Amino acid sequence: MAITDAGDHAAPPRTAAARTVDLVKTYGTGEARVDALAGVTVAIERAKFTAVMGPSGSGKSTLMHCMAGLDAPTSGQVFVGDEEIQRLDDAGLTRLRRDRIGFVFQSFNLVPTLTAKENILLPSDLAGRDVDQAWFDHLVDQLAIRDRLDHLPKELSGGQQQRIACARALVGRPDLVFADEPTGNLDSNSSSEVLGFLRRSVDDFGQTIAMVTHDPRGAAHADRVVFLADGLVVADLQAPTADAILEQMKALST
Amino acid sequence: MWRATVKGVLAHKLRLGLTALAIVLGVMFVSGTLILTDTLHATFDSLFANVYQNVSFVVRGHAAFTGNGGAVRNPIPESVAASVRVVPGVAAANGTASGYAQFVSHDGKAVTTGGAPTIGTSFDPNPSLSALKLRQGTAPTTPHQVVVDAGTASKYHFRVGEQVRILLMGPSETFTISGIAQFGTANNLAGATIAAFWLPTAQQLFNRVGQYDTVNVLAAPGADKAQVQRAIARTLPPGVEVVTGQTVADEQASTINNALGFFSTALLIFAFIALFVGGFTIFNTFSIIVGQRTRELALLRILGASRRQVFRSVLAEAAIVGLVASLVGLGLGVLAAVGLQALLKGFGITLPSNGLVFQTRTVVAALVVGVGVTVVSAISPARRAVRIAPMAAISDQVAETDQSSRRRVVTGSLLLAGGAVLLGIGLTAPAIQLVGVGAVAVFLGVGMLAPLVARPMSSAIGRPLAALLGPSGKLGRENSMRSPKRTAQTSAALMVGLALVSTIAVFGASLSRSATASIDQAVRADYIVTSGGAGGPATQMSDSVATTAATIPGVTAVTTVYTGQFLLGDSVATLGGVTTPQLSRTINLRMQSGSGEQALADGQLLIDTTTAEAKHLVVGASEKVTFARTGATSIRIGGIYEPNAVFGSYLVSGRYFAEHFDNPLPVAVLITAAGGTSASAQDAVRTGLTPYPNVKVQTQAEFKQTQQAQVNQLLGIVYVLLALAVLIALIGIVNTLMLSVFERTHEIGLLRAVGMRRRQVRAMIRSEAVILSIFGAIIGLVLGTGLGVALSAALKKQGITDIVIPYSNLVVFLVIAALLGLAAASWPARRAAKLDVLAAIAAE
Repeated sequence: MAITDAGDHAAPPRTAAARTVDLVKTYGTGEARVDALAGVTVAIERAKFTAVMGPSGSGKSTLMHCMAGLDAPTSGQVFVGDEEIQRLDDAGLTRLRRDRIGFVFQSFNLVPTLTAKENILLPSDLAGRDVDQAWFDHLVDQLAIRDRLDHLPKELSGGQQQRIACARALVGRPDLVFADEPTGNLDSNSSSEVLGFLRRSVDDFGQTIAMVTHDPRGAAHADRVVFLADGLVVADLQAPTADAILEQMKALST
Repeated sequence: MWRATVKGVLAHKLRLGLTALAIVLGVMFVSGTLILTDTLHATFDSLFANVYQNVSFVVRGHAAFTGNGGAVRNPIPESVAASVRVVPGVAAANGTASGYAQFVSHDGKAVTTGGAPTIGTSFDPNPSLSALKLRQGTAPTTPHQVVVDAGTASKYHFRVGEQVRILLMGPSETFTISGIAQFGTANNLAGATIAAFWLPTAQQLFNRVGQYDTVNVLAAPGADKAQVQRAIARTLPPGVEVVTGQTVADEQASTINNALGFFSTALLIFAFIALFVGGFTIFNTFSIIVGQRTRELALLRILGASRRQVFRSVLAEAAIVGLVASLVGLGLGVLAAVGLQALLKGFGITLPSNGLVFQTRTVVAALVVGVGVTVVSAISPARRAVRIAPMAAISDQVAETDQSSRRRVVTGSLLLAGGAVLLGIGLTAPAIQLVGVGAVAVFLGVGMLAPLVARPMSSAIGRPLAALLGPSGKLGRENSMRSPKRTAQTSAALMVGLALVSTIAVFGASLSRSATASIDQAVRADYIVTSGGAGGPATQMSDSVATTAATIPGVTAVTTVYTGQFLLGDSVATLGGVTTPQLSRTINLRMQSGSGEQALADGQLLIDTTTAEAKHLVVGASEKVTFARTGATSIRIGGIYEPNAVFGSYLVSGRYFAEHFDNPLPVAVLITAAGGTSASAQDAVRTGLTPYPNVKVQTQAEFKQTQQAQVNQLLGIVYVLLALAVLIALIGIVNTLMLSVFERTHEIGLLRAVGMRRRQVRAMIRSEAVILSIFGAIIGLVLGTGLGVALSAALKKQGITDIVIPYSNLVVFLVIAALLGLAAASWPARRAAKLDVLAAIAAE
């Protein structure tokens, strides 16, 4: 495997785990043309919890899809570490996602036929790689899901499912975790559990996390909030409070 | 990934199980056929080895040529036995003579066999040489004694000391049963009846006075066999050869095994048809499964599954299904073979039971075929799975590319055109393999193109349903219209099944009409007398039927028809012989050139126009012909007649035939009576022929009906074999509908929530099924009719002169297809109706 455990990567010249340069993504043509991203240059800092916010249609999900190599930008560049991902073919992108990126989705997206444990181990299974048992145990305990490991997703609550998904995203020690509205389908208790876990993984292990959300209280867990509107970065708050975020959102909606 | 695949299979047990059923049935068919034919092979091998185990050598006439039924040999002079007997190292050498002999049972009916020969032979008194082992009584030692085989004796209650009447080439005679014998270790020879006579009697009965068919030789113990064989060969006159008993055993076993080979090939063809149809079903199921698992597969891609891993996971799923199904099919195949064996026994074919022969080859073939068909059918769905974008896991609007459908149209058109060309070449050549490949290509091509017409056709088919059933019918119609590709794929299997059924229907109707038309054209006789057996050339009748018939008051003309094989130039052909006096009153030859009856009477050959054209033969030309009995000679072509299926392509007079064939037996006797077919005339003819209980007297009209009935019987067997393919197609429809119901859970829940009743839900699913079935049936019927017409047209020279499209049958097939579709829908429809409304709406 060309790209091995990315966690041990020599420190790159920049502190960014991933960044975009003048990223443009256009859907449709003519009348139906929509500029989802109109030239976004942004960096996701290493070992930081970055939230991406913005009203519906602001391009925040598109930005994340492009940065994760799931969607191809119309123009501009995306770097993960110091690798420009447009240069990668499908196999390269697959390896990138498998070895260097973790995902948490709004709708959990667990494989329904696999048990919780099998879901967690799926990425390393796909890579044909052994999992770090101590790290696995640590995550399982941190997320309090040990007694749920042999259950199928349909036997678990939403909060439990999302915690399984978090374990799956982190078990391979990825360079970067993308979380797309991770609390969108959760009640407030479960939401705090998941957000608290993400926060701790940044603080305790230096995990890099980028989270798309429209929940100001969720975004308040982040080290930094990037605001998007109409496909452009319009604000960038460091160490935000929920109030500051609300202020900013109000400013954007007027 | 492997774990995910296995779990996936387990999670989808139901829908994969239905798919697997198609493979189970196909593999069962394949393995059952192989096991049965292997068993029969082994049985006959050991049977003949047993029969000839003590016979060291067989002295016999050289084969003049090898015809369809094995080598054609001449009898040898009686003196050969005497000269062989004095060769040093020979312990015994006894002549044999055999021919036609058919028992008459105690109730006066001829003993029939269902196809196996009715053998008359000489009884060899030397127990070391005789294939017949006496079980009871004694060997025949007077002209009026006979030994009966144990199988016939027990079935017809013949006992030692009783009288039995036997039909022979000449007039029938009554014999006393002196003994009952078994054939080797079996009761009889695969259902054949055996009457064994005193050798001089056999020579007389079978027209072998002064001659033997063979001389069986027993070598002295300790003699050098090779040396003895050479010594015997030196004493033999020209045209006579000596071979080992083993050689004869092998030859006889291989003759039967060749016939079995035909039987097994025929069965295997149907097995492969079933598997081919099964392939469509698998393709369809996997397409739908891949469609339904789009999100899951895309998720795997996001989490780092490579395209190859996704491809292999779908194929691995297919392989698991194929493997399990093949193993089950193999097990059922053993049961099927046992069942078929019992069926054979029911037909009176009792074989020494050696147990089933289960070769490694059978296991390998079953697994390779079962797994192979499943995996190959899943390749295209697997490729579609590979094309799923990772984004499909998190976004609903991932449009399917239009490119694939354009490519499908191009590929489909190419397959259709290529297949049609191959079919054309294959049918005219003729080459059955090309026909098979061509048909497969045509079916695949049509299957790929069918989505193009699926929407308009579903719309048209569904219109009356919508009118009849209201909203349910309308929704069913719209469901079948909204995914033309799925509609077409689902009905593809049924399309193939019905295409084959209608091909056979058109071919059968044409065959039937052609047969009766040729009887109309060629036969003027009022009555046609044939042997009463199950048909086929094995059943024979006495040559004296004609002489007896001629003495019946009111009979004005009698013609005997013979057939036999000869060499025309270097190729084997079938020659017909007809007795010439009053020929024009029984037969209408429709001469194109030359003369008919006169040329025959002059010992000339008549040929039909097709042969004349193909071989460039003209009236007056002289052709080299070879007969087994008389060797090479030349014959003048005296006339050319219009092709006729009744008499074949070559005709000579009965006298010429009798001169050149050994012991000819009539295949038919044609009778014209002054009173025509009036009741009194019929009565006279039937009464006059009562001494021959094995013959069937039919008026021309009855004979035509019999011919049609035979064609229909054959069609019936073919339909039964094709029914399996149709059954598999139906399983495919059940499966697809089930998957559709799962898929539309939410939608069905919504319909129920807004007030659709359960009954209406059922009607909706059923409408969809009926539309699917009729759609597949219509395409299949059109395609099959075309194939049937092509097949019939290609066989014009073989006597299919009329092409008939049996519209009423085709309509019946269409109705049956619709009803089967309705039946296929019952389970999915019930399932849909049972959905819990709330849960269905909540379902994602």
